[in-house]
Amino acid sequence: MSQMLPIGKSAVMTASVPAKPKVEVKNLEFFYGQSRALKNISLALPARSVTAFIGPSGCGKSTLLRVFNRIYELYPNQRAQGEVLVDGRNILDRGQDLNLLRAQVGMVFQKPTPFPMTIYENIAFGIRLYEKLSKSEMDGRVEQALQRAALWSEVKDKLNASGLSLSGGQQQRLCIARTVAVKPEIILFDEPASALDPLSTAKIEELIDELRSEYTIAIVTHNMQQAARVSSQTAFMYLGELIEFDLTETIFTAPREKRTQDYITGRFG
Amino acid sequence: MAGFQTRKSKNAAMMGLCMAAAGIGLAWLALILGALLWKGFSGLNLAVFTEMTPPPGEAGGLANAIVGSVLMTVIAVVVGTPVGILAGTYMAEYGRFSKLTTIVRFINDILLSAPSIIVGLFVYELLVRPMGHFSGIAGAFALAVLVIPVVVRTTEDMLLLVPNALREAGAAIGAPRWIVIRSVAYRAALSGIVTGVLLAIARISGETAPLLFTALNNQFFTSNLNAPMASLPVTIFQFALSPYEEWQQLAWTGALIITVAVLTLSVVARGLTGRRETR
Repeated sequence: MSQMLPIGKSAVMTASVPAKPKVEVKNLEFFYGQSRALKNISLALPARSVTAFIGPSGCGKSTLLRVFNRIYELYPNQRAQGEVLVDGRNILDRGQDLNLLRAQVGMVFQKPTPFPMTIYENIAFGIRLYEKLSKSEMDGRVEQALQRAALWSEVKDKLNASGLSLSGGQQQRLCIARTVAVKPEIILFDEPASALDPLSTAKIEELIDELRSEYTIAIVTHNMQQAARVSSQTAFMYLGELIEFDLTETIFTAPREKRTQDYITGRFG
Repeated sequence: MAGFQTRKSKNAAMMGLCMAAAGIGLAWLALILGALLWKGFSGLNLAVFTEMTPPPGEAGGLANAIVGSVLMTVIAVVVGTPVGILAGTYMAEYGRFSKLTTIVRFINDILLSAPSIIVGLFVYELLVRPMGHFSGIAGAFALAVLVIPVVVRTTEDMLLLVPNALREAGAAIGAPRWIVIRSVAYRAALSGIVTGVLLAIARISGETAPLLFTALNNQFFTSNLNAPMASLPVTIFQFALSPYEEWQQLAWTGALIITVAVLTLSVVARGLTGRRETR
């Protein structure tokens, strides 16, 4: 596999990562119309572990994340080519049911996006799509999801208030609760804390840390300290290429690539 | 310091002009509303709502015209709103990037500003001539044709205001497109869409021209949609032009009723929009 990678023999992109891969990306290319945003990306995300994607703006890290649940399909003229295997099954196949894929691969966005409904309904909405539950079962699931997102104690007395009435940090945790509620296996975080204050950011990071034991997590972040804090392995991307992918510790202490070193030490980007 | 004084007097002059212009605009509105209240209010009594339009020289009311107007407006809204909302939904959601949407939007904009008398003539050719007589249903149809472009436009505009991030969030938990539209996009745009429908009602409740060619008028009470039907605007038109004092008085009163109804709708619509903005 390594001979296909653009950056030479040092790039054995999976070798140093121990756990069994949940997601395997093979020779992925992505296009916005004619322009190529991802160039021959290959890497593997280990199961039940946090993988961070870092790199300067426009490097393609969010684009890569948006391939994992094919959310890009909402827009015309965007297409991916190559293979993305989830549990060995190529999700880029034409026959892949997108709604089922997205129930399996959840996503939390940069800006909190609560639905215009009550806190309770924000959670129940997703569950109801795939499960028929009695009122009491649903109550239980909603509570469980909110507990999981460390939001229960703050909202348990106002479940019928609008999701939009919460603070930014609470809204983001509501979105995480909503995502967790559908029982995904993989959760994608697209700069989940970049619109939040430091305290809310810390809470989100704590949450990600707790979720790692159950979910395969991919997080895009501009904040290198955040990547260092929450992830087990880190991918550095630059201009649509995957430059280096290794254990987070290695990336931040002894990167092989000069460009990685330059970026994490703040010399460009 | 001289420069400061000059700027200050320029500012005062400019502000004076603006206030004068605003005053002139508002003065007409006040005059119209004042005259309506003055002349219309004195004729307002229970009989206006219970008795039929009278023959010249006799007392009477506007009951048949009010009922006709309400009936035709309701039918027009019931028919026009779903069509308008669905078309607007197509344009903002499913067909946002398609060529067809651009064409439909262009045509809809033309329809939106088309003189309503053209719509009346169109429905006359389409329904009245083949049926051989004027009818309430033809009137309602003409009004529906006027409702559709208003609702299409506001629905599309309001749905386009719903941030894409919300649609992505809906899709990201595995909701199919139509559920995202129904449960997320419509909900986010609800007050705007309702405002559009209210504005459409306000627009058609004063329309006279399309009804002249379709529902015509009726001196008597009828709820038969297959027969000519009275309406407030047409009755006002006929009575106001007449030489009979009773008729003229009824025209004033009818005008007052329409104005108050439309004003109420506009205020409600404004209230809904305001609530959306402050949320």
